[in-house]
Amino acid sequence: MQIMKTLFFALAVVAFGVRPASAQIDLSGIWAPIMHEDALERVPGPEIGDYAGLPITAEARSRALTWDASLLTIPEHQCQPHPSTYGFRGVGNLRIWVDQDPQTQQMITLHTQIQWMDQHRKIYMDGRPHPADYEPHTWQGFSTGRWEGDTLVVTTTHLKAGWIRRNGLPLSDKATMEDRFIRHGDLLTHISMVSDPYYTSEPVVKTNGFRLALNGRLDPYPCESVVEVPRPKGAVPSHLPGTNDAIQEFAALHNMPAEAAAGGADTALPEFAAKMKTMKIPAKKP
Amino acid sequence: MRRFLALAGAFALAAAVNAQQAPPAAPPAPPAPRAAAPIDLTGSWVSIVNEDWRWRMLTPPKGDYASVPLNGAGRGEADKWTPAMDGRCEAYGAGALMRMPTRVRISWQDDNTLKIETDAGTQTRLLHFNANAPSASERSLQGYSVARWEYAGGPIGGGRGGRGGTPPPLPKFGTLRVVTTNLTGGWLRKNGVPYSENATVTENFDRFKSPSGDEWFVVTTAVNDPKYLQQEFVTSSHFKKEADGSKWSPATCKS
Repeated sequence: MQIMKTLFFALAVVAFGVRPASAQIDLSGIWAPIMHEDALERVPGPEIGDYAGLPITAEARSRALTWDASLLTIPEHQCQPHPSTYGFRGVGNLRIWVDQDPQTQQMITLHTQIQWMDQHRKIYMDGRPHPADYEPHTWQGFSTGRWEGDTLVVTTTHLKAGWIRRNGLPLSDKATMEDRFIRHGDLLTHISMVSDPYYTSEPVVKTNGFRLALNGRLDPYPCESVVEVPRPKGAVPSHLPGTNDAIQEFAALHNMPAEAAAGGADTALPEFAAKMKTMKIPAKKP
Repeated sequence: MRRFLALAGAFALAAAVNAQQAPPAAPPAPPAPRAAAPIDLTGSWVSIVNEDWRWRMLTPPKGDYASVPLNGAGRGEADKWTPAMDGRCEAYGAGALMRMPTRVRISWQDDNTLKIETDAGTQTRLLHFNANAPSASERSLQGYSVARWEYAGGPIGGGRGGRGGTPPPLPKFGTLRVVTTNLTGGWLRKNGVPYSENATVTENFDRFKSPSGDEWFVVTTAVNDPKYLQQEFVTSSHFKKEADGSKWSPATCKS
């Protein structure tokens, strides 16, 4: 009889005791990015002067116009990874895995890693607070997560100054992000909302998909900087304010008003399409 | 006394057997989809075009089908488009309607039917719960949409309330999943990038609140078309809730 009681208790523990919280869903595995959205920005790279649809401030636009693509050739910039605010829209597979306490089966940390430049992010799931403002800022930032139903919701602070778009649109080290991971079968929808007190007037919202890759893999991504272009010491490619007409060039190339290319929250609203019909399209340069 | 006890025991036994043989109480009917909704999608919403701006806010040039996994037949069909066809209703079919820069009004037409209206193209979609698609001969631009709720943590019902217990409260989180067939075909982009009448459109609607308190929903749309696509075409579009419908601005399309 004692054996039966023990067996019953053990079965009850197995059946009920070790079940994860019902609101959680398994996100672990390797996920391949689906490049059906913003593909030309994400793979070959954005065009210079294209800020359309992004809720940027005038300060962001001014700084972006000082940016020169040759900046990426100087050694200090060659091995910079994307910040976590941008990396999920880059190329390369995404791997997600979880650390769980072996006794309690509670989730302690959820990791995300993207192959390009080895972007490894830790998302703490144990309820710990975010550190003080003066603590170090990193490319991936400090992330804590929680579940809303089956959706993983992550809050990230302590980011290094980075970029909204890799054509010079800046993001400050005061930026924060709330991102969401929603799994629908073999599809993963990632939603990011990035806010910056200096460079965005509203959250920049991006959504994109990943597909579960059962045979997917991540390879190592070592990076070593070299002198690609000999330059005088201290030279940094850039444009002085007022000398860059990239917005006009981009607008002319794509037959749109410069006001659209310049971005701002209003350019993301449906009614802007009608407004554009009253705006002048700059002439193409010969 | 012994006889009395035996009689009482017999009565008790008969009552117990009777109780076991009585038909069990019928389980309560599941709530109608409207009452069972884990998320509320009703109201006025506006698409925020932070992505694919050039392909959504402008009509792309002929032959610009970048990032759409067209096959040869699809490219051939796309190349038939001319600028004179800009604004036609094919661009507002169920395969791409939610990708349009548009405002949407979502309401319950009845307890089993959710209605989505768009001001772009002045279209109406009906999402039918507890329904099956009719025969393939009845086709339309918006097709026939079959909807169901997917609850966080699994389906409701299934005895989770325990025998005789109070049913558990409905989950607060979940997804609206919609599968649309019976389409006439249409365009994935305003410049005639096609999907065919054989396409199936699968959508997942998820609602959430931003850190600032604004309400949003994201619809992840997967278009499968064996005729014109090499692989499933997947996009996700986000909408922000508006206080009212005062910015509703219907614009018809050319049929």
